[in-house]
Amino acid sequence: MPIYAPSLPPAPDLRHGQPPAVVLMRFDLTRLWRQKIGRFFGFAFLAMLLWKIARIYVDHLLNTNQAFKPMQDFARTILTQGAAFQADLLNPASYLLWFLVALVGGGLVARDTLYRVRPLMYAHPVAPRDYLLAKLGFASVLPFAILLPFALLPWLMSLLLAGLSGPVWVTAPLRLLPAMAVSSVLMGSLAVGASSMASTPRAGIGWVLGLVLGAGTLASMIHHLTGFRAIDALNPVLLAEAWPQLLVGVDHPLVAWVPALVGTAAHIGLWTFVAAKRTQPSEAVL
Amino acid sequence: MEMPLIAFENLEVRYPTASVPALKGLSLTLERGIVGLLGPNGSGKSTLLKALLGLLTPSRGSGTVLGVPLGGGEAARLRARIGYMPEYDALIEDASAYEQVAFWGELSGLAPEAARDRAHEVLYFVGLDEARYRPVSGYSTGMRQRVKLAQALVHSPELIFLDEPTNGLDPDGRRRMLDLVLRVHAELGTGVILASHLLGDVERVADQLVILDQGQIKAAGSMTGLRRALARRVELRFLDPLEPAQEAALTELGTVLEARNGLYDLELTEAEPAGAFRWAQARGATLVQVTPRHDRLDEVLLRALHGPAPVLDGGN
Repeated sequence: MPIYAPSLPPAPDLRHGQPPAVVLMRFDLTRLWRQKIGRFFGFAFLAMLLWKIARIYVDHLLNTNQAFKPMQDFARTILTQGAAFQADLLNPASYLLWFLVALVGGGLVARDTLYRVRPLMYAHPVAPRDYLLAKLGFASVLPFAILLPFALLPWLMSLLLAGLSGPVWVTAPLRLLPAMAVSSVLMGSLAVGASSMASTPRAGIGWVLGLVLGAGTLASMIHHLTGFRAIDALNPVLLAEAWPQLLVGVDHPLVAWVPALVGTAAHIGLWTFVAAKRTQPSEAVL
Repeated sequence: MEMPLIAFENLEVRYPTASVPALKGLSLTLERGIVGLLGPNGSGKSTLLKALLGLLTPSRGSGTVLGVPLGGGEAARLRARIGYMPEYDALIEDASAYEQVAFWGELSGLAPEAARDRAHEVLYFVGLDEARYRPVSGYSTGMRQRVKLAQALVHSPELIFLDEPTNGLDPDGRRRMLDLVLRVHAELGTGVILASHLLGDVERVADQLVILDQGQIKAAGSMTGLRRALARRVELRFLDPLEPAQEAALTELGTVLEARNGLYDLELTEAEPAGAFRWAQARGATLVQVTPRHDRLDEVLLRALHGPAPVLDGGN
């Protein structure tokens, strides 16, 4: 027989809380942190980041130490310091990042569907737009936060070691950060839209991977059958890689400006619409 | 005068895709207390709860919950003053009771630190102390129900909706849950709306009753008033034992449930027991006493559901 407290004191003031979208995002972040998947990807991305920075340091050594002259000549062939190098600061991580987005984002809405907590959220002062904003926000901020050190740390190191003549352009963050934002929102909206169609987190992961790989395969098939290159904008992986290239001005980006704009807008619009429809209170059976 | 808990005037709620309204012209005033919400499946109980939570906008009529008009722009403000314990398992399985009660507290508007403190208090109140740090996936049904009650109470609501709170509980767990419901009202002053199919639960805790069927109110009012209005069971005492012909004619008054030594238990066809005296006079019998018997709640419910007109008892 449990021992009950004599009574319950009144709750503190309800006006000092954070906005519901922030509370929901924080809860999802805590949940991710607890999972092993968060630690695994943390190490994986850290290793990649160290590799990137090491390359810049090696470049610095080659440039400043005459003993490395032969190696310096060789290094010039791989460290181009051109636009492609700037765009490439983000791209090597992209496939792993898509995988992380699928693993984490696939369960974001589906887990709430499985546990049937969404109707209970709507019985609290949480509007459907708060819920959608929280899920889109979390799924977009996650890849952005992972990419952020890839854009900033090499730039900072390059600036410290070699000043204006370093391998990373001084203006690179101004071009890479907007590109990261667009790619991250693309990833987040697709993950949330796919997750909203699933009833379990595993099914959500399947939906994200299926949509990403399926759209990519379809685009590739049509491209090769018809020679219509703009159809590559259907492929979200290529789109996410194309934005850094477009904004730093690579000569031959994976997707041209107009198809990239149309494809990205279509993906973000479609998957946000799907998620919004699938998370309405009418779907919430009390 | 104290503000009514809930007041409706000709309230109609219609789902966008449905041709007929789910709730039809409800007019009702409920005072602060424990209200039992009864009705068969599909009677509109869930729709009513959704409307009360501001999730559905009335298509006609008006209503207020805790003085806040329904269908206005204040649904979120209203929900901060209401707690809801759903019938189904709406628990986050990979989180502990403490984490999720604090989470629901934050969603209701508590600051993070206040929500954490409050989660401890409210979990202790519902009787979950040491277990509150364990993931709820390992909880028994009784513990899960108590977590659901705790999340409904975490922000000190003025009104809570409890949907089948004793679902799946053993008799002891059921008793403890109903004790908690009584304490929530008695100690915290919280209004309670209890939807349940277990009439014994409603009978034990509720002081007011609303019976819904096909989106309409079939009966509403205080428990004692409705019992009185829908009472049909009486015990008749005659001066002399009835003749066999008189006994057979008793069916004109209603159904004879039991007869022994000049005492007859009847379920009357008409609500008015004075008819029994008229019957005795016409049959040449001497009726000396009519004693109302305690009607079971299921009998009251069935009479309300199958009665020709709604029974509204204002006497709380």
